[in-house]
Amino acid sequence: MVEQAATRVLTCIQCGKCTGSCPESGKTPFNVRMLVRKKQFQSAIDEALPWYCTSCGACTIRCPRDVKPSEVIIELRAKLVEDGDIPVALQKALENTFVQKNPWGRSRNKRADWAQKLDFEVPHVSETESKRLLFVCCIQAYDPRCMVIPVNVARLFNAGGLEFGILGEEEACCGNEIRRIGEAGLFEELEEENKAAFEEYGVKEIVTLSPHCMNVLKKEYGDMGIKVVHYTELLAPLVEEGAIKLPGSFGKKVIYHDPCFLGKQNGVFDEPRAILGAVPDLELLEFSRSREMSLCCEGGGGRMFFEVEATYQRNADVRVLDAVSRGAEIIATACPFCVMTLEDPATEKGLAVKELSEILTEVL
Amino acid sequence: MKTGIFICHCGHNIKHTVDVKRLSEFFGKLPNVVVSQDYPFVCSEPGQDLISESIEKYGLDRVIVASCTPSLHGEMFKDVLRKKDLNPFLLRRVSIREHCSWVGDDIEENTEKAKRLILSGLYGVAHQVPLEEKMVEVNKTALVIGGGVSGLSAALFLSKMGMQVYLVEKEPQLGGVVREIRNVWPARTSGAKITGDMEKELRSRQNVEILTSSELTGFEGFFGNYEATLDTPAGERKIVIGGAVAAIGFAPFDPAIKPELQYGKDPRIVTTLDLERAGELALPENPRVAILHCIGSRDEQIGRPYCSRICCINALRVGEAIRERYADSYVESFYMDMRAHPRGAEEFFEDTQEKGVLFTRGNIGEIVPAPTGVLLKGEDTLLGETFEREFDLVVLSIGMSYPVDSQKLATLLKISLDKDRFFLEAHIKLRPFDTAVKGIFIAGSCSGPKDMEESINHGRASALKLYGLLNLGYAFVDPFISFVDPKRCSGCRMCEQACFSKAIKYDEEKKVVHVEEAACQGCGLCNATCPSSAISLRGYYDAILDDEISAFLEAI
Repeated sequence: MVEQAATRVLTCIQCGKCTGSCPESGKTPFNVRMLVRKKQFQSAIDEALPWYCTSCGACTIRCPRDVKPSEVIIELRAKLVEDGDIPVALQKALENTFVQKNPWGRSRNKRADWAQKLDFEVPHVSETESKRLLFVCCIQAYDPRCMVIPVNVARLFNAGGLEFGILGEEEACCGNEIRRIGEAGLFEELEEENKAAFEEYGVKEIVTLSPHCMNVLKKEYGDMGIKVVHYTELLAPLVEEGAIKLPGSFGKKVIYHDPCFLGKQNGVFDEPRAILGAVPDLELLEFSRSREMSLCCEGGGGRMFFEVEATYQRNADVRVLDAVSRGAEIIATACPFCVMTLEDPATEKGLAVKELSEILTEVL
Repeated sequence: MKTGIFICHCGHNIKHTVDVKRLSEFFGKLPNVVVSQDYPFVCSEPGQDLISESIEKYGLDRVIVASCTPSLHGEMFKDVLRKKDLNPFLLRRVSIREHCSWVGDDIEENTEKAKRLILSGLYGVAHQVPLEEKMVEVNKTALVIGGGVSGLSAALFLSKMGMQVYLVEKEPQLGGVVREIRNVWPARTSGAKITGDMEKELRSRQNVEILTSSELTGFEGFFGNYEATLDTPAGERKIVIGGAVAAIGFAPFDPAIKPELQYGKDPRIVTTLDLERAGELALPENPRVAILHCIGSRDEQIGRPYCSRICCINALRVGEAIRERYADSYVESFYMDMRAHPRGAEEFFEDTQEKGVLFTRGNIGEIVPAPTGVLLKGEDTLLGETFEREFDLVVLSIGMSYPVDSQKLATLLKISLDKDRFFLEAHIKLRPFDTAVKGIFIAGSCSGPKDMEESINHGRASALKLYGLLNLGYAFVDPFISFVDPKRCSGCRMCEQACFSKAIKYDEEKKVVHVEEAACQGCGLCNATCPSSAISLRGYYDAILDDEISAFLEAI
């Protein structure tokens, strides 16, 4: 029996736009159209397949019937999560998030440790006048490579006279990846916990460091009546209008990689470029695939936490080779997931990967 | 007062769940009702005869027909009265089918409700007085807006039927998009030849005035006497016309709003229309050509959920042309579903396949221009295999978008747009050429995607409908217009603000308003707005409404 699903899965016309747009289909056994087809008929699927999806969103953005194939994948995953048919590493990430509110299982009370590197105090958001919250994100709170990003952004905001506060250990994982792994129950818990904190402290504006956090807070937490922005959207006018002075020089060829959750899924293309354009002596380059066409780094949709079975040329490698052929010295991006996935292959080719705030801090 | 009540069974439609016998017996006993009868089909000829005969036999001065909705058979029943020299506004229709039998299956409740509705009609019609239908003269002059194939064929038809025709075209040239098509299928002739022939014939006619580089900027008045303001190269001009045909065509879809197609970023990615306009193509002798179907059609992400109906044929034409011009070419057509629907088109599809065009079922995911060729990423959905293929030329078979001026013209003509911003017909099946405004018709692809043959037919059909109205030379104007009791008017002028047809005029000296009858459309807004009950609408007096309401409340 065909179940009358709540999603638009039954309206799929099997045109293949999703597969043709997918950064995984073709190079891995993953075929998103086929999985939607099987979902239409509730047929059995190979349990390894749904985990290839990186949640880049290209299929959902382009689907002519608005079937939202990436959401169908989440539904398929939800069933697997329910049945316990889930890669061990993902299982671990979910458990960690349940206990410590971050997928790595690091102690929750160390969530604000990054702020110790600053030579000024970052207030709790409740103590600020603006009630502007800097939402830090798990990766940037704990990962040694990425902990520098909130430090940098804090310095930049300070230099620009922009008041902000944090939630510290009261911040829980945003749940963007958790929802995409298919653990709707845990996602709802995280959502409720964060929303309760926002409400308790009267948060009026949320500035996220990770585009993944921005996406979920802005589009999947329901209408909170709180403005949610990515930090580049706040910084771009400050840098352009000279409120933040950049006296240094950065005479490098920099190529900008659009993160999926910032660019194609949320339409923030120009602000990061405007920021880079304001850096003295920086030469800005573009990938052969940029903006809406940007190639996914394969860090999203839970892929950050585990390795898929298939061996194939990773998109990060493709991306780095393109950067090399364009003559870039540095790959700049505005997402901790992209930093993490691009860095290894880039280092191999002698390129550096820098988050935008790192470049800005160097010329501050 | 002598009222006749005729209760229709509508076959089983009404009789099945309304006790029509009980109704006719009940009303037969009421004062002023001289005949009360139920009948299987009152709308049938014997049914109409029954009314005529009763009018004659009993000298009826009020008639109630309790049957289907008043919008059905409205004019027909009025004619029955007219033929018996009874004023048609002394007829009252009561809907006991749509309002009773079709919406409930409890015979007791349905019958009770029908009884109340008929009683309400009886009370209402008692107050009714004969109303005079004003006859106005109709100008045998037509305005055709748009000079594409549809507008050209409408103008030609109207001219040949002896109407004075103004043809207004925004562009400097007539012919629309069709003019640019080199090889029209299945005519196998150039579009310029087809539109050129039509234009030549039109220009040879005495009763046609063609105004190119001109636009409609104003539209006032009512059927038979519309006044159109035109912006022409010779300056502003006002013309009086009986009615109009809007045939403003479509806008070719602009693929630039779909970033993954990279249109406009690489000269090797063109639309089917670009190809018609292009000179000699800079292609190698063995070119690799991709043709993409459904660009700007069947796509909900960009608000074009509909099939444009012409693009599969255009894609076939391109494929055929390339294969004929370049013997060593590789031509691959990427489709979602092949829709070769016009007569002979399936055979054309087959011919094209025989000529070597390959067809792959797959909607291309994205296009990546590279130095060696334009890379297409997609999936052959029949094989379940993804591919990346390079081509020297990518042709996007673009669909039809709403005409750029659709909103502007809809506002001017007071007609409606559908959800896709094409013009909306009065009824999709029964009145596909009409709009809700009398004397305004729509033709061609401005009311949704159509191919050339359909557009020409649509243009002629709309012209025929307009001709039918104009040729009578006269029209009846509904008598439902407002009038003011100057003794009650306090001169507050609230009605003036409520009126959208600007029919209320204020007299500065007498400090009261009056209604300009020719402009009044009988909407009742002034009537409802007036705080002093100084304005009434003919046929809808307050006393009628009060009594009708009391029929629902009183004990029977």
